Amino acid sequence: MATAAEPPARRTSRIRYDFLAGQLLALGGAFAFAAAIGSIIIIAYNENPLFVYATVLNYSTARVQDIAQVLEYATPLIFSGLAVAVAFKAGLFNIGVEGQYIVGLMTASAAALYLDFLPAFLLVPAVLIAAMAGAMVWASVPAVLKVRTGAHEVVTTIMMNGIAISLVAWAILNPLKSTGEQLVDLRTNLFPEEALMPSFAGTFGLESVIPISVHLTLLFPLALIACALVWFFLFRMRLGYEVRAVGSSSGSAEAGGISIGAAQVKVFLISGALAGLVGLNHLIGDKGYLGSNYETGLGFAGIAVAFLGRNHPGGIPLAAVLIGILLRGQDGIAISTELPTEILIILQGVLILSVVIAYELVQRVLRRRMQQEVAVTETTAPAEA
Amino acid sequence: MPLVDLGAAIALGLRYFTIIYLTGLGGLFSERSGIVNIGLEGIMIVGTIMGAWGTVEYGPVPGLLIGAGAGLLFSLVHAIATVTFRVDHIVSGVVLNLVAIGLARFLSQLFFGQATQSDPGIPDLGTISIPGLDLLPLGLGTAFEGMSPIVPVAFLLTIPAIYVLNRTRFGLRLRSVGENPEAAQTLGVRVAPLRYAGVAISGALGGFAGAFLAIEINGLFREGQTQGLGFIALAALILGNWSPIRLLIGSLLFGIAQAVPLRLSDAPVISLLPEEFIRMIPYVVTIIAIAGFVGRVQPPAAAGRAYEGAAT
Repeated sequence: MATAAEPPARRTSRIRYDFLAGQLLALGGAFAFAAAIGSIIIIAYNENPLFVYATVLNYSTARVQDIAQVLEYATPLIFSGLAVAVAFKAGLFNIGVEGQYIVGLMTASAAALYLDFLPAFLLVPAVLIAAMAGAMVWASVPAVLKVRTGAHEVVTTIMMNGIAISLVAWAILNPLKSTGEQLVDLRTNLFPEEALMPSFAGTFGLESVIPISVHLTLLFPLALIACALVWFFLFRMRLGYEVRAVGSSSGSAEAGGISIGAAQVKVFLISGALAGLVGLNHLIGDKGYLGSNYETGLGFAGIAVAFLGRNHPGGIPLAAVLIGILLRGQDGIAISTELPTEILIILQGVLILSVVIAYELVQRVLRRRMQQEVAVTETTAPAEA
Repeated sequence: MPLVDLGAAIALGLRYFTIIYLTGLGGLFSERSGIVNIGLEGIMIVGTIMGAWGTVEYGPVPGLLIGAGAGLLFSLVHAIATVTFRVDHIVSGVVLNLVAIGLARFLSQLFFGQATQSDPGIPDLGTISIPGLDLLPLGLGTAFEGMSPIVPVAFLLTIPAIYVLNRTRFGLRLRSVGENPEAAQTLGVRVAPLRYAGVAISGALGGFAGAFLAIEINGLFREGQTQGLGFIALAALILGNWSPIRLLIGSLLFGIAQAVPLRLSDAPVISLLPEEFIRMIPYVVTIIAIAGFVGRVQPPAAAGRAYEGAAT
């Protein structure tokens, strides 16, 4: 219990320590709860939970190439997690990352195919920019509608997702359709070599430990750089400050002279730009063409990553790696056990929900304790004076 | 343009209407109690898988009820998170939708031996025709022939829904905690149980609508078969200003908008568009409707706000 004699500085640092301890406690509790639920399901299947969890860990961390595989899975999730988190800081839910990156796939492919005269050091950036620009255009519609008409971004972004799927299906069949003879596989022409993202192993001389079947590319370090940039933006830049002010209390932000609408549109565009990069590891790090069976669901997975990572640019890569481990673990479960691999998807959901609830609980306890302390100091302070 | 096509489009539109309206009506009870529920899509998904399983095991009527029951149980996760733990309503709803996809795959693997669909051709309730209306000339009568009995049930459900909301103690209290929980609490109304009830109704109706989709329309469970209809129900609810009659009209509009591209692709103007663009129509209609109407509607005052209780 705090006493009135305690100096304010020490009290602030103690509150911060409490806060950190609380977060860790919440995270640990949520993990334990999810593991317990998972164990119940696993036992119902007559398997040993410890063996299953060990298998998941073993498959994702035993060799360098397993770790590289996990990081490959994590790369798009870092971008989509960041995209969701940045908007969430302004109190906006970008459920449309899914549609935005799908449109980004289309514009990136167009750039890769039509700007093929550029040398590699220009073409790869051009593809990245095209992906971000396409996704930003897609994000701008719900952003402007939100600010102008008040249309809730959750509903409009979901509708934009539906439109994006049809638009890209049309593009693959029409302007971007491959010129070669193809009867079954609907897709674009192969991109020129110069449009492909250099592999991580090739760049850092790790070919001996990471086989070419693992598509870890320079997009992974780029994703980490994006985390640092988002951190700098949110906590060191004026617009980032405004965004956080709007998100935590729009009333006070407005009273403080911040234009809520402008901040929301800008942050939604930034979110869209990040969303544009989500699909690129599959597109220019792996396949080298856009097919109608492109990777889906990465945008929705980003929502999970953002919540797990507490919407913080430091937590998001960790959360993405965790989901990457669960994805890699599915291979292990499929090979070594009789369990359906979908169990890991359920576990992921249970984990997210318990993390959200656990943080809410911890925050409530901390808030109450802080209120009590303030009450104590207020009642005792006049007596001392 | 032959009117038979129009009749067929209306018939399909009425089926979509039923899904949208039932889910939206559930959402109405949840939101009128103060809990925003964007997990309706996930609740519907749980309804499709459990409804399909229930029908394969026990027949269509138990299947529909099992779908409703499963939706109700699943929605309680949302109630626990938002009412008891005061998690942000949107966050919890999004998680519900995420979990539902994984859960459906898991259960499908368990029930049907494959993650993404059941065997087609599960039994349904059979069909009815509306006497009189099915005799309409020029092929329009096809709209009211061979209809699932659930379609008229959905229409008729409007009457008890209005009665419960406006004339019963439960309905009035439910609305009071959605408008002003502090005042309701002061008058001795317990907020949390009413909000649990509101969410549970949305779960039961959303699960029922999902089961209806799987059993009566598609004849199987298939991953992704809800196609975002839960969100369209949410849009209809906003458009309908949280009132049952206007929700009914909005659901009819959205239902027809869903059906037009599929049944009227030969109609003038529409036939000029590529197929992919026709499929965008329902989504575009929803965006325009939401953007055009949202300023003129009035959500329940306390919807989306956590109620801290009398202690704080």
